[in-house]
Amino acid sequence: MKAAKNIFSFILLLLPFVVLMACSDDDDVPALENEEEVISQVTLTFTPADGADALTFDWTDPEGPTLPVVDPVVLQANTEYDLTIELYGPNGENITEEVQEEAAEHLFFFGWSDQLFDSPTGTGNISNRSNTVDYGDTDSNNQPVGLATTWTTGEPASGTFRMVLKHQPNIKSATSTVNDGETDVDITWAVTVE
Amino acid sequence: MFKKNRLFVSMLGFILLVLAALPLAAQQQKPKCITDCSCDMAGRVVDQLTQEPLPFATVQLKGSSVGTIADDEGVFHLHNLCDDEFDLVVSFVGYKPVTHHHDLYHNDPVIYLSPEEAQLESIVVEGRQMESGMASVTATTIGPEELENSQGERLGNLLSRLSGVTTLSTGQNVVKPVIHGLHSSRILIINNGIRHESQNWGAEHAPEIDPSQVSNISLIKGAASVKYGPGALGGVIVVNPPQPQLTAPLSGRAGLRLQSNGRAAGGTLLLQEGYSNFAWLAQASGLFQGDLHTPDYNLTNTGARELSFSAGALYHRRQLDLRAHYSYFQQKLGILRGSVVGSLNDLAFAINNEPPAYTSGFSYNINTPNQEVLHHLLKLDGSYTFHNSSLDFQYGFQLNERQEYDVRRGTNNQLPSINLQLLTHSFEADWNHPAIGNLKGSAGVQLQLQDNNNIAGTNTTPFLPNYNNLNLGAYLAESIQAGETIFDLGVRFDIQQSSVRGRDQNQDIFRHELNYSSITASTGFLKPMNNWSTIQSNLGLAWRPPNMAELYSYGKHETVIEYGLLRFHEGVSGVFSQAERAANSELSYKWVNTYSYQRNGTTAELTAYVNYLQNYIYSKPAGITVISRGPFPFFIYDQTNALLAGVDGSFALQHNNLWESALRFSFLYATDVKNNERFLGLPANRIAYTLAYKQARLGKFSNFTAGLEPSYTFRQYLAPPVITPAQLLESAGDDTEIFATAENGFDLMAAPEGYFLLNLAGSIEKGKLTYGLEVRNLLNTSYRDYTNRLRYFADEPGRNFVVSVKYNF
Repeated sequence: MKAAKNIFSFILLLLPFVVLMACSDDDDVPALENEEEVISQVTLTFTPADGADALTFDWTDPEGPTLPVVDPVVLQANTEYDLTIELYGPNGENITEEVQEEAAEHLFFFGWSDQLFDSPTGTGNISNRSNTVDYGDTDSNNQPVGLATTWTTGEPASGTFRMVLKHQPNIKSATSTVNDGETDVDITWAVTVE
Repeated sequence: MFKKNRLFVSMLGFILLVLAALPLAAQQQKPKCITDCSCDMAGRVVDQLTQEPLPFATVQLKGSSVGTIADDEGVFHLHNLCDDEFDLVVSFVGYKPVTHHHDLYHNDPVIYLSPEEAQLESIVVEGRQMESGMASVTATTIGPEELENSQGERLGNLLSRLSGVTTLSTGQNVVKPVIHGLHSSRILIINNGIRHESQNWGAEHAPEIDPSQVSNISLIKGAASVKYGPGALGGVIVVNPPQPQLTAPLSGRAGLRLQSNGRAAGGTLLLQEGYSNFAWLAQASGLFQGDLHTPDYNLTNTGARELSFSAGALYHRRQLDLRAHYSYFQQKLGILRGSVVGSLNDLAFAINNEPPAYTSGFSYNINTPNQEVLHHLLKLDGSYTFHNSSLDFQYGFQLNERQEYDVRRGTNNQLPSINLQLLTHSFEADWNHPAIGNLKGSAGVQLQLQDNNNIAGTNTTPFLPNYNNLNLGAYLAESIQAGETIFDLGVRFDIQQSSVRGRDQNQDIFRHELNYSSITASTGFLKPMNNWSTIQSNLGLAWRPPNMAELYSYGKHETVIEYGLLRFHEGVSGVFSQAERAANSELSYKWVNTYSYQRNGTTAELTAYVNYLQNYIYSKPAGITVISRGPFPFFIYDQTNALLAGVDGSFALQHNNLWESALRFSFLYATDVKNNERFLGLPANRIAYTLAYKQARLGKFSNFTAGLEPSYTFRQYLAPPVITPAQLLESAGDDTEIFATAENGFDLMAAPEGYFLLNLAGSIEKGKLTYGLEVRNLLNTSYRDYTNRLRYFADEPGRNFVVSVKYNF
């Protein structure tokens, strides 16, 4: 028992030194993280089917509780466009790729003012999933994704164009609606067809 | 700033070193009473179950013929002993005898003998432990017997059995205790004598303590516990694990419990052994739980895993006691999958639809969202007893790791979105000085060093900065007895220095040095009115510096957009120094009064308190912004003055030998004094009744108990105004009107209705086995709890059968 006591005392004696070494000052700052959580820029690229120059419009959300800056979308009347959507993080991280990689879990829903487009007709699949949207891409289960779509404008008009990207892990289907899963993007654009 | 402290830290290290060496240097001189055989001692023998004295119990000095018989009050005296250390054997017909190693440096023992047919072992307690160090401060305790019958519950739920404690939960797995309406950084948890240090700022961060490794819990209701340092605005919870006992043969306890709701299984094992001057103890426990369910549907992703073990040792040498204790706790907790929403539209849909999204069949799997926490605690402490004073010193090391996993895109789903590591060293020395006339007291110094770091690789900008904290405190607590009345006074001074490194909105590094200091004070009295009732009154001043989340929260995190005190100023977000934006310490002035009564089988306790909080930190809505997921309200931290007042009470009656009943209730009122508004999330008032039947013998069985516990939780009558997600969406862009009547906060849906619950519990013993059956929510009531943060999404769990078996050996 004498030995045990001495060992114990010895450890106790050493302790303050061990501790002092352990808590020496450090000055480490949090590492620079590759922000992949927050989407702070959405870019729409409308490419006319006739080969004219593509039109791009940005939605950007500056830091802080300020309202985003949204480019008004101006399209030519009676024109067919291929629309591609790109998503970026605050430091230019490309989030579109992540959505593409997980296409089977993501789906864009669209809703727009009546008469804005000749094709598809109607007001989009936000209000009713069975309404037509001309998706130009599919996932591994042959379901649409919506990063690429096709639109044909009609006569000059103006209205709104809303797009909702839903994350629907394991529940995405031909009938899953805008109420299923979590919202990643929900943006409404002002559109003028002239 | 931190560099300068190095010298100081070194000095303190040196002092500790001297303290550690002191017991070795001090020659163990033998007291005079040994040489002339004039040592004497006294003690008391009581029944452990009834607490009644056991008159004429036999007390024998082991290995000798020296002995005595207790008087009719159970009190015994031994005179003319020739040693300062000896083994006492205490026995009484029909009771389990106990051997106790006693030395004259410890308080007079109280020997709790257990009836032969009872499962509980006889135990010895040396002096009544006063956790607060002050007699005027109200303290209530949950003892080992009650704790054993409630294993498998979360610590928070267990604590809510104490009147004055309620819970704040995130689903069913994450449960935090709330004392008199305050929680998180505003209460202290002392685990095994050491401040429990974790990321306690978060409402969804429960204390990392395994309740199955706890032998007793005390609640200190006073605000100012000068012994423990800043933070005890609401009160202090003192959690003590079982301690190794000297001269106890190898014994142990094994337990297994099964639970129908969640199809859970849990087990515990305890082993201990004590020699004349060395004792050890080891414990292990685990829990495996799947999805819980409400009366109507499964709660997908609410499984849990827990694993913990601990070991302790005691070395005793005349005046010196040395102890070492290590514990490890690991937990993985699932959070309801359907509680994840991305936007106000999602939230509106979730509130109006049941069952929650993603509800599927029962599973043991835990997917995202979930939390994984790990807590190590190492404690080394010693006490040296002089003839009329004693010195205690301790060192504590804690490592707390927290990883939170959210539902994220792609490979990020496997990455934690919060990954924090907190390292805490604490040093403490306390001196119980010799009594000066009627004046008794103690003084002490404490040093705490902390290092909090973000672990890289979360792929999201951390909102909590990295920081180092230094906290130094010294206290003096004195009490004086005048007649029957005890007056006491405690004073403490603390300084806290923090060195903070974080990243601003542009990812640029910022550095802050923060300094906070304040006094803590407490004064009051304990006055026995007669043999059966006492009055306690205590007035305390407590404080705490703002926590890092309150200072530095910023930006978009899941569905909450918040800006800390130093991240938003005059309508602009950024990083502001304390010179630009004041962030003051919170101060609490709490007055607690307690009346206790104990006579003829009736016990009653009534506590009334008023707590005025100056510079109370809270987050309030400041507008509606638009992010990529649509419109969102955003919140900024601010300071105001708050008043909390309430009453809690318990009343127990022993009807006859078989029946007893108890009533407990709590009532709380709170208001923002500056703006005359209500706060969000105050616990609702509650009343609970217990009817218990106990019979010592039942055929071949013994100690049959059965109890029925009906309780009613009232609807929160102090809820702030409701602003629904739909209303928020409508007012996006025009947000000045909507918060005009809800400056302190709003709720997204009305407070849930009050609810009635019925629980049933019973146990019976045979030989060394104890069997238990419990039914929680017997009536399978569907209800939601106001202080469950997931009440927007799902009901609380339905009926739950709990079967347990324990084996003592």
